[in-house]
Amino acid sequence: MGKTVRGQWHREILSSPSLSLSPMGGWQRNKGWSHSVTFTRMERNPLQRQVAYMRRSLFDQGYLDEQFVQLEDLQDDANPNFVEEIVTLFYTDSARLIHNIEQALESRPLDFIRLDDYMHQFKGSSSSIGAKKVKNECTQFREHCSARSAEGCVRTFQQVKQEHTILRRKLETYFQLARQAGLAN
Amino acid sequence: MASLGYWDGFPMISALVCMATHWTGPMCYLRQEIQEEKMGFGKATSSSKAMKIIDTEKKISVLIVEDDPLIQKIHKVMMAKFGTEVQVVANGKEVVDLYRSGASFDLILMDFEMPIMDGFEATKELRSMGVTSMIVGVTSRSQDSEIQAFMKSGLNACYVKPLNAEKVTAVLNELKNN
Repeated sequence: MGKTVRGQWHREILSSPSLSLSPMGGWQRNKGWSHSVTFTRMERNPLQRQVAYMRRSLFDQGYLDEQFVQLEDLQDDANPNFVEEIVTLFYTDSARLIHNIEQALESRPLDFIRLDDYMHQFKGSSSSIGAKKVKNECTQFREHCSARSAEGCVRTFQQVKQEHTILRRKLETYFQLARQAGLAN
Repeated sequence: MASLGYWDGFPMISALVCMATHWTGPMCYLRQEIQEEKMGFGKATSSSKAMKIIDTEKKISVLIVEDDPLIQKIHKVMMAKFGTEVQVVANGKEVVDLYRSGASFDLILMDFEMPIMDGFEATKELRSMGVTSMIVGVTSRSQDSEIQAFMKSGLNACYVKPLNAEKVTAVLNELKNN
């Protein structure tokens, strides 16, 4: 079987939506080929591959942890947009908490107990959606509360907000891409 | 057969066919099988058939006592996924009121921190009312001392948030074994 014949077959598979491949694909990277061809049953088109890659990197780079997978496992026909709904709810909730914390950080002297309380809630929500980096920054903040360090609280709060925003952007992109990939199927 | 006069035609022939299948054991079985296959056509029907068998057993009733709407939603969907019947209230006072009005649940998932009446007070109250339902604490407090303190209210078990499939399985197994 020459390269040309393989190439044709490859194109055929890509354009045939009803075909499903076995997990191992059975293809090999060849010097003359431009992309890797390890398909899984789920990844039928380039968009879906992109979605899977993005998802993988969110975990690898520590933005998300196992709890996010738990949410994904709950998504089904009865709850088709569950993950996105939960994430949206998280960002609505946390916007309120961020506002409360900002206000509390402006009062002098700082009410560390109240700040710790808010951050405890924030940390709880973050961990329930698997927002790993956000959760870790929350922990840092609470340590500064315990140490009654105003400077530490103000500084780490900036980090909390930063991670919070970064994750939101990444998840927005991810969900958008996933929707496009789903439509393209 | 065609010359039977008035009773000639479809009804008579189908009657004969029925008689034939009735008397011919294997053929009758095959026909029934085809009928069943036709009715059970499609993945959804066969799995709902399986679900039906499970549904004849009474569903476990679960009450989620939790003030955070995000956690409420997650835990509700999680418990529903395990086939339980789920209700949600937002604080300890509501669960006490429910029980006072005569309601009862197989399992209560009790959050610790809630306004009006927290998980500790609510559990203590329920136990003093003689409630024997399984009450499982769900708390974001992870310190041993805090968990032990919560347990003292009369919990059967206590888990750190967030709940996941593993913890829920453990809880439901515990419930079934009691």
